[in-house]
Amino acid sequence: MARIYVIDDDAQLLRMVGMMLQRGGHVTTLINDPTEGLEAMRRERPDLVVLDVMMPYLNGHDLARQIRATKGLEDLPILILTARTQEVDRQTALSSGADDYLSKPVSFQELMDRIDVLLHRQDEDVSAEQNGLVLAFYGLRGGRGQTTLAVNVAASLRRLSQQEICLVDFGPLGSQSLMHFRLPAPSSWVDLAMVGELDWAGLLECTRVHSSGVRLLPVPAPLHAPMLPTAEMVQQVVDVLRKQTAVTVLDLPPVVNPAFRAALSVADMAFQVLTPDLVSVQTAVQLSQVLTQHQIKPRQRLFILNHVAPDAQLPKTAVERGLDARIALEVAYDANQMLALTQGIPLALTKSDSAIPAFAGKLAHALWQHAVANTS
Amino acid sequence: MGTSRYGRATADLDLFTDAYRITGRALVGAGGFQAELESSSSSYLEMEDVYISRINQPGEIVASYPTAVFRKDNINFIMVQEKRSGSGAGGAQFGRPLFTRGRPVAVFLTVPSFEIRGEVQQEGKVVLRELLAKSLGQFQPLQAAQASASLYPDISYSSDLLFVHKERIGIFCLAG
Repeated sequence: MARIYVIDDDAQLLRMVGMMLQRGGHVTTLINDPTEGLEAMRRERPDLVVLDVMMPYLNGHDLARQIRATKGLEDLPILILTARTQEVDRQTALSSGADDYLSKPVSFQELMDRIDVLLHRQDEDVSAEQNGLVLAFYGLRGGRGQTTLAVNVAASLRRLSQQEICLVDFGPLGSQSLMHFRLPAPSSWVDLAMVGELDWAGLLECTRVHSSGVRLLPVPAPLHAPMLPTAEMVQQVVDVLRKQTAVTVLDLPPVVNPAFRAALSVADMAFQVLTPDLVSVQTAVQLSQVLTQHQIKPRQRLFILNHVAPDAQLPKTAVERGLDARIALEVAYDANQMLALTQGIPLALTKSDSAIPAFAGKLAHALWQHAVANTS
Repeated sequence: MGTSRYGRATADLDLFTDAYRITGRALVGAGGFQAELESSSSSYLEMEDVYISRINQPGEIVASYPTAVFRKDNINFIMVQEKRSGSGAGGAQFGRPLFTRGRPVAVFLTVPSFEIRGEVQQEGKVVLRELLAKSLGQFQPLQAAQASASLYPDISYSSDLLFVHKERIGIFCLAG
């Protein structure tokens, strides 16, 4: 339960957001005048504030700036909730000092998820932030290009940072990432199960290192399928990797098994990959429901819309409507990917400037900045 | 569609002139937003709760007023915010208004300060001149539209439904 101030000049929306937050177990103070809201926060600091943007006399961006400039409120979590829904509005919200942005109308679940993330971030132990970043790529349907994105982001991160980057493969039908890197697999999670002490030295023995420097922990071949990683193993491996690597990239299986649940629960950022078609959207919605049922809450969850074919069945806006959530990242169709897979060289390691390496480069840059900021 | 402070129906939209982005609620009559836009009985579009931004900093609000009117001739294009307006702007579902028929045809066009990509719904053979004929209305609807500021190409906007002022169009290109 947190004390949350909601500031919006629209009385109807103010009540609606207030009711949602109360339903989520929070204590709310509803304020329809932004100047009054700032005064109230100065008198008594809440745990979090939800701001509208379009308010007369003092708009939400300026209010966020004033909050950041106020002694004692510099680190107050701010969530901007606005009817201005364009990408530029999101950027402006974040640059004005807000921690997160949501467009109206907002669903109960989406609002609760974002509030939880902001409150959780506030509570995080500082020492934990000084460890490496753990990313997860996931989804329930095959053919979404999930491994392609995980591999290319890992390769871009390595290229950019020159630090230890480990890609952990969870594929249920043998290691897809090995194919992307064209690496042999004399070791895998199976060997890890035989290691007595699960420490960095033990892990090193079971990983492969690509010439790019990316370290890879593959899954066993299908014949060893019964030896898929357990939840305990995942937890231990991620704990070790978090301490020893700059970034760990988890490429999760397309099935909600114990390893999937454990991995998603410990990831700092989780990227749900889907394609612009009806089946993929339905599967993504079902997966979200399953995660809610199992109470699996990644610290930060972002949707990636990956165009694996030249023609999209659904426009992005339709996908967002189906998901009832915003697509954070979009990857255009890249005709070079098939050749890259055949050659065993991820596009991010070539001189190609096509869609996938461009996306992976941008995301890696943003992630690396985030990782550096957290450790400085 | 929402309701104005005086009980009239409203449509939430982003309106773009050469230099400004205006977010607000347009007052519409019984015929809906498109009918209001095409109405020959008024050269103006009435709006409530307007928030004005410059196109080089379209996220920053430089002014806000409870009421405003805009000369239709001065509007380059309008983005209807379907997510907020629900089905009011033509019964859109998954980005395609239900009233439209025909096949989607990709178009690229320019208006002062902006480039716009999108789709027009067209039955039969597409003839550019006919699409731009004023007798068929002052504003051409585009679906799945994306607009970029010509001088600030990193700034772009997307919308399920966009109405572009035909007389402001400089270049109009058709795919296929």
